[in-house]
Amino acid sequence: MRARALLISLVLACTCTLFGQNGGGQNGGELRFCLRSDPKTFNPLLVNDDASETVRYLTAGFLLRVNRLTQQPEPDLAISWKILNQGKSIRFKLRPDVRYSDGTPFSAVDVAYTMQRLLDGSVHSATSDAFRSGEGKLVTRVLSPALIELNFPAPVANLAYLFDFVPILSSTSPQKEMAALGPFFVAEHKAGAFVLLKRNPNYWKKDPQGRQLPYLDSVRLEVEQNPDIEAMRYERGEIDLINTVSPAIYEKLSSVNASSVRDAGPSTDVEEVWFNQVPSAPIPAYKKQWFASTAFRHAISEAINREDMARLVFRGHAVPAAGNVPQSNKFWFNANLQPQAYDTSGALRRLQSDGFRMENQQLRDKNGNPVEFSIVTNAGNRSREQMATMIQQDLKKIGIKVNVVTLDFNSLLERMTQTFNYEACLLGTVNGDLDPSSQMTMWLSSGEDHIWNPKEKAPATAWEAEIDKQMRIQASTLDLHKRKAAWDQVQKIAWEQAPVIYLVNKDSLVAISPQIRNAQPSPFRPQAYWNIENLMLARR
Amino acid sequence: MKMLHKIAIAVLLSAALASVLARYIAPAGYEQQFRDEAQARPSIHHLLGTDDLGRDRFARVVYGMRVSFFLAPLAALLSTILAAAVGGIAGFCGGWVERLVMGATDLFLALPWLFLLITVRAVLPLNLSPVASVIITFALLGMLGWAPAARVICAGARQALQSDFVWSARARGCGGLRLIRVHLLPSLRPALAAQFFLSIPVFIIAEANLGALGLGVSEPLPSLGGLVCELQDFVMLRPEPWRLAPLVVLIVVIGAFQVLLSKQEVHA
Amino acid sequence: MFRSLLLALLRFVVLMLVAGLAGATLVRVAPGFSSDAQELTPGLSSESIQAIRQARLADSNVPQFYLHYLNGLLHGNLGTSQSLNQPVLDLLRDRLPVSLRSLALALLVAWSVGLALAVGAFRVRSRWFVAAADSSGGAFISTPAAVLALVFLMMRWPPVLAVGLLVFPKIYRYSRNLMEECLELPHIVVARAKGVGPWRLLSWHVVPIAIPQLIALVGVSISLGLGALLPVEVFCDLHGIGQLAWTAAQSRDLPLLVNLTFVVSCLTIGAIMCCDQLRRLAGREATA
Repeated sequence: MRARALLISLVLACTCTLFGQNGGGQNGGELRFCLRSDPKTFNPLLVNDDASETVRYLTAGFLLRVNRLTQQPEPDLAISWKILNQGKSIRFKLRPDVRYSDGTPFSAVDVAYTMQRLLDGSVHSATSDAFRSGEGKLVTRVLSPALIELNFPAPVANLAYLFDFVPILSSTSPQKEMAALGPFFVAEHKAGAFVLLKRNPNYWKKDPQGRQLPYLDSVRLEVEQNPDIEAMRYERGEIDLINTVSPAIYEKLSSVNASSVRDAGPSTDVEEVWFNQVPSAPIPAYKKQWFASTAFRHAISEAINREDMARLVFRGHAVPAAGNVPQSNKFWFNANLQPQAYDTSGALRRLQSDGFRMENQQLRDKNGNPVEFSIVTNAGNRSREQMATMIQQDLKKIGIKVNVVTLDFNSLLERMTQTFNYEACLLGTVNGDLDPSSQMTMWLSSGEDHIWNPKEKAPATAWEAEIDKQMRIQASTLDLHKRKAAWDQVQKIAWEQAPVIYLVNKDSLVAISPQIRNAQPSPFRPQAYWNIENLMLARR
Repeated sequence: MKMLHKIAIAVLLSAALASVLARYIAPAGYEQQFRDEAQARPSIHHLLGTDDLGRDRFARVVYGMRVSFFLAPLAALLSTILAAAVGGIAGFCGGWVERLVMGATDLFLALPWLFLLITVRAVLPLNLSPVASVIITFALLGMLGWAPAARVICAGARQALQSDFVWSARARGCGGLRLIRVHLLPSLRPALAAQFFLSIPVFIIAEANLGALGLGVSEPLPSLGGLVCELQDFVMLRPEPWRLAPLVVLIVVIGAFQVLLSKQEVHA
Repeated sequence: MFRSLLLALLRFVVLMLVAGLAGATLVRVAPGFSSDAQELTPGLSSESIQAIRQARLADSNVPQFYLHYLNGLLHGNLGTSQSLNQPVLDLLRDRLPVSLRSLALALLVAWSVGLALAVGAFRVRSRWFVAAADSSGGAFISTPAAVLALVFLMMRWPPVLAVGLLVFPKIYRYSRNLMEECLELPHIVVARAKGVGPWRLLSWHVVPIAIPQLIALVGVSISLGLGALLPVEVFCDLHGIGQLAWTAAQSRDLPLLVNLTFVVSCLTIGAIMCCDQLRRLAGREATA
């Protein structure tokens, strides 16, 4: 598998280089694009916001990298690796003669140091938590300067892929975390204004012609919160790319110059709505009964017109979702599942079979309570407000009154995770990782992210118990096919029980200046610049 | 000049009539989604085209006027009364009362009221009807918008108290409430009128901004402020200039108000 | 005079302290204080989420936080922003001059345009002029700050000018009304009847009477300008304290918000109090 991945990436690299040469690209130049906010940290281990993640992606070195097109891990600082001891250990053979941006040599000691820092208890990130698979400590064995073995107390699911998120720090550099192993290093930062990255002169990678990568001299990341202004600056040529554009801006830019924007296909981002099923939630008991009913949830799902949502809210740049794994996630997508078809009469029949009845265009439950509820979503997100309004209109057709409430994000979060004072919530999930093991806390009934009813002491329903079982199976085996079968089963149960009603998978829309050569946008993060070292600028 | 007043009266009457008779004027309900005609250009069926969800923009403007033009003046009146009361009391009493009241006013100007509004939303039920929500919002705006005017009014009251006509009234034994009603309030009328007037468009826009906190008009009910704030999507303004219609309506109606009120002020 | 200044200073300090405490309390009481968007990162364990929440709640005791903050303030330490992970002092040092420059420019535009139109209306006495000035004021005040600023940005004009145009209608309206009011005072009626020219009328009779209220308006206009500057900075990405305040408000960044409340209070209360002192002086001179 790794050999195939290597072959594919070699072919891709050659194609890119040829394209680059034919396309008139040249070495040097400055690539400019925007960050939504100032990076909160330059310590790669403490990254938890998008802006810092961008800087980390462009500056840090990783043992392996997942190719965003083939979705396969490829050697980076590690030439090869081997999983041992039923997933409890991994051994890396490291690339020799690699140096940090300040000239400090890289060795296995740095990998050991990084892993110890990552797991020392003060770092709270999804990656460090994923490695903390059981009680006990990580044991690192530096076998030679180019060979290291990491032993975890318990098997770690998806072990190799996790290293795509582990930036390797230097244990000896006087610059500490700022010493970079990636294609660029941080040269200047003006808080709230920009971050200037310069080419790492010691970057190990070369193109097939033996030219030092990256081709670019520098990357200037400017802080720009307003996407409309970002689009205006892109149109004026002040920036070279926009990593994520809204469908409206995409259409506008496309109408001016169709080659300046690209739709990379369905992303891992999914929009969803769910009902509050927390037993202690401060909402009326009869509403809790509705929300706990599978038939009710299914009927709601059936009454929502996802096609219209994709067409109107996302201007055709989204597809109806069957679950939280998009089609573009080639391996983990369950192809047997289809998005719930829009059928208002089917929804009504389902509700009637569950004791609901229509009276004067108003749906009532078996006790005569009119069926109405509120949907909360985060204010300022126009597409979510529009989706909620469409749901309001769709459900009106089956006699349900929906109140749409937009709240600022922190208030919403408090209601979702602490007070549970809401009825239904519309939000989106961003999955950075393609592997389902990163979704353990969402699917396990005891999980904090088990959004419809977090931290259950014991599974509240038989199907949640089954999901728990399947998630544990997929997390504890190394056999990919067994993992896939278990994960398919989880997706199937989620579809049948609809604890979360998945709406649409948004496409990854990017704007890339025609002056940039070798760009190959991917649906996965970071969409436009995942192959930054290969990007070239045409003569300005 | 009479022509200008006639035009202003005609504009205000048309706006009032249009919002009262919205049901008969609008080609469709403000919430009705013509999903097959979304983002349509102006046509005979949709005079101002349709929005992203296929809702008739003209219908939304007409219904939006109903919400904004009836509630914003009420909120403006509330803030003007509060400004008159606070500023007037401080100016009239003077001394430590003035210092205390004006100190509280200064404090009021400096506090981050955004968090009070977030807290108010938290104590309101989520199933609050859109109409109740908008009434509460305008009431809050009225209660929070008095402070800048109170300072000006206090200064005006202090000055009026030292004027010759007040001295002469006092010498004739006029005092207390009568002095306030007959002499002070009329002299403060221009400042109060300015406060009332300027508050109307400010509150219309502020209501829309409060949508970000879960207050204000909630979907699908439209408000003029909400429609105007959609213009923040300014990349679409050049290709679709008819989106400016709500702003034009707001400016024309506020302009008409001003023409009429300036006449009133001059004659006051 | 000295006593009055001392009292004003004392009042200023007390108001600032109360404003800081009230600001901190409002932030703490508002929902969402204990929440952090980081909690939603997929894959975080229970322990990590609890650790994130605990870190948020470190400043949950407002009196304790405030005393600690004041103690730091006395030693020149304004704390560290939770959301931006930077010392507040550095942030303010970077951002405050930007906002002050913007505010000064905006107020200059607002007062120039507002007073010019008000004086023009007084001098020309044409209802068409008044109608045109009223309409332009009405148009600007009816336009959301963000929209106007974005249009300015699109036209490549400085967006802070939009703040000036948003504030000028208020200055124009108050000052014109004041002048109209003065025209009806008996001694001015007499002066007009005697044929005193409009400029002389304005400079000798109207301005001395209107000045105390106009000075009060100067103080208030700073508060109005700051209010209009905030959305403009947010929407146009101007790196001032308005943008900082919005970021801090969204993430309930208590140390940053308390400092910003101090800054805003200092600007508004300070300006108002200075104007009060000036107004008193002007009043004394007018009486004299």
